[in-house]
Amino acid sequence: MDPRLSEEQEILQKSARDFLTDKCPRSLVREMEKDEKGYSPQLWQEMADLGWMGLVFPEKYGGGDMSFLDLAVLLEEMGRVLLPGPYFSTVVLGGLSILDLGTEAQKEKYLPEIINGKAVFTMALTESDGKYQASSIKTRAAAANGNYVISGTKMFVPDASVADYFLCVARTDDKAKNPEDGITIFIVDAGSPGIKKTVLKTIAGDKPCEVVFKDVKVPEENILGKLNLGWAEVQKIIERAAIAKSCEMVGGMQVALDMTVAYVKERVQFDVPVGVFQAVQHHCVYMLVETEGARAAAYEAAWLVSTGRPYSAEAAITKAFASDAYQRVVALGTQAHGGVSIIEDHDMPLYYRRAKASELAFGDARFHRKTVARELGFKVP
Amino acid sequence: MDFELNPEEKAFQKEIREFLDEHCNEHVVAETLSLQGAGPYSKELLRKMGAQKLLAPRWPVEYGGRDLSPMCEVIKVDEITAHHAPFPLDGVEIGNSILLVGTEEQKKRFLPGVASGEIDIALGYTEPDAGSDVASVQLYAEDQGDYFVLNGQKIYNSEAHVCEYHWLLTRTDRNAEKKHRGLSMFIVDLKSPGITIRPLFTSGGLRTNEVFYEDVKVPRENLVGDKNGGWKVLMSALYGAVAGGGMATGTKYVIKTLAEYTIAEKADDPDARWIPDALADIYVKTRVSEIMGVRATALGQLGVTPLYGGGGMVSRLLGGDTRRLLYNTAMQILGPYSQLYKDSKYAPLQGGILREYMDAPRWTIVHGSQEIQKMNIATRGLGLPRR
Repeated sequence: MDPRLSEEQEILQKSARDFLTDKCPRSLVREMEKDEKGYSPQLWQEMADLGWMGLVFPEKYGGGDMSFLDLAVLLEEMGRVLLPGPYFSTVVLGGLSILDLGTEAQKEKYLPEIINGKAVFTMALTESDGKYQASSIKTRAAAANGNYVISGTKMFVPDASVADYFLCVARTDDKAKNPEDGITIFIVDAGSPGIKKTVLKTIAGDKPCEVVFKDVKVPEENILGKLNLGWAEVQKIIERAAIAKSCEMVGGMQVALDMTVAYVKERVQFDVPVGVFQAVQHHCVYMLVETEGARAAAYEAAWLVSTGRPYSAEAAITKAFASDAYQRVVALGTQAHGGVSIIEDHDMPLYYRRAKASELAFGDARFHRKTVARELGFKVP
Repeated sequence: MDFELNPEEKAFQKEIREFLDEHCNEHVVAETLSLQGAGPYSKELLRKMGAQKLLAPRWPVEYGGRDLSPMCEVIKVDEITAHHAPFPLDGVEIGNSILLVGTEEQKKRFLPGVASGEIDIALGYTEPDAGSDVASVQLYAEDQGDYFVLNGQKIYNSEAHVCEYHWLLTRTDRNAEKKHRGLSMFIVDLKSPGITIRPLFTSGGLRTNEVFYEDVKVPRENLVGDKNGGWKVLMSALYGAVAGGGMATGTKYVIKTLAEYTIAEKADDPDARWIPDALADIYVKTRVSEIMGVRATALGQLGVTPLYGGGGMVSRLLGGDTRRLLYNTAMQILGPYSQLYKDSKYAPLQGGILREYMDAPRWTIVHGSQEIQKMNIATRGLGLPRR
């Protein structure tokens, strides 16, 4: 067992940290919250030029041939600076799914576009009830003359307003017995007629959208994976995204912790730095417990993905822990800071808001504990 | 990066697991669960384990070990705990210190005995007025040249009544400028005249002891480290414990047992709907503290661990909190029947949950209370200022 970063990963970590510290200061994060696009296309292109979009994809498509574990390192760095933009959607939700499930033609068509920074992908999955479960998928795709016609409404689609393509999860067989059956993933050109996107104003300023599909025509060749057998794949995508999101969250937790420790060493009250008080020390220690715990779990889970081992159970454990942990870290960090950190222009609220958004993404702690409970033998609805 | 035990560690895990499956019989388990200290069946098992060289895998071969990684020590503790086998932990941990700071003669004298299961050593740190503030110990060792004369009292020295030796922190200088500079460590034969061991029971039924020293003569060769250098020896025990710890096979088994119980007994009980989420929460925390602890051990054996701040200590905090949460939740799951002692015919799960619930408070206090751990992590790990 060797939990250390490899030399290559250390180089990646350092160069990513230097680059992002320089290019993605918190002023940019704030600016992008108010920006219509929500990200800087210039920075996006620079990231592509650095090879970040292609990091995990095979060389033959123009990628860097690195592993999911390497991606985990990069995601942690992005989580540190709260990088705005559709990287996660494009690479984790879009690219990896195409790599996993796509035909050779699909891979050749889409992966180079992703790798070059030319295409933004996202996944249109959740619907009106906001749940990550098969029975919530009501959007329908009806076969008609070699095409499918998609109708339905997707909610909280990340980065939809800037996406070039959606992976849209739709029901293709109404008569299937189980809600898990009869679901298919489609690659949908976001410019297709019949798509209407409305940005939702959320606490993290990350602009997820309501996306209405009204009789959107999609050619049959755009089916990703197998017809009617898509849900098992969607689940894998959610689990992998949950692990990836946890890696991002670890970065945010670490910064919230570091920020807090630095502050309580300097902030003087009662003639001493407040960090000498045990009540404050204990807050910091529990922030460390949560951060280190989430990091250990996230990297172990990422290693499972990387090495092709089963990862469903550990994905659930990781995201269940990280979801509660990030929340606790920002709450304790805020408490340790006191009044200064609840003022809007302090950096802590940036993390406080994203902790909640990350918790809600790809299943919160309760959602993932249901999976753990099933592993323990419970029949959980 | 990889999170897999190496082949040597896997082989050791398989070996000790299979050995305990076979040899840790119901008599041993009964002795362990009685919390009365290692009894005759336990001692016999320890000797058998010693003969197989399973007790001190980390130690050099010449002292009865196998020269294996610290991870094997963690594996050993995990398997022993999961099997309810006796716990020769203190003797081995003390042995780690002897390895670091003892003389060659002391190593030869004590380590093979511990490794073979023939002798065990009890910790003797705490006194009535020196708990978390361990540098305040008063048990006095008066230097008489060839020997020291010891007078004073220790408390909460579990297993002292079944151990052969006492790892004893004493005061040798009452006028030291700083109190931790006037301490010395001894290994004392517990059969020495003048030692009285008096039982003390926790509310959880665990037998521990008060140990009284009255004019006890201890040969100078039993002084470990320098005279007045006891603090360094004490710290070496801490630093020697690279094994961050943290495998949780036994705890995970308890959670699974509670899940099975709930499924069997409360399948249709609408008031039991909270249980899957609660047990899953505990399982998540247990598993994370396990990953964290094992990761810390792995980092430690690669020589990169910060002792505080990241890893073992931090994992212990989460593990301690989770253990308390587990047994309180378990009592709630069992409802009114949880309070029945094991001799009641209605006692669920053989009264095991009640026993662990009553014993649970100990785990966040012994071997350095959580508050001391937090202070260490805060000041040494996070670099926060001291008072």
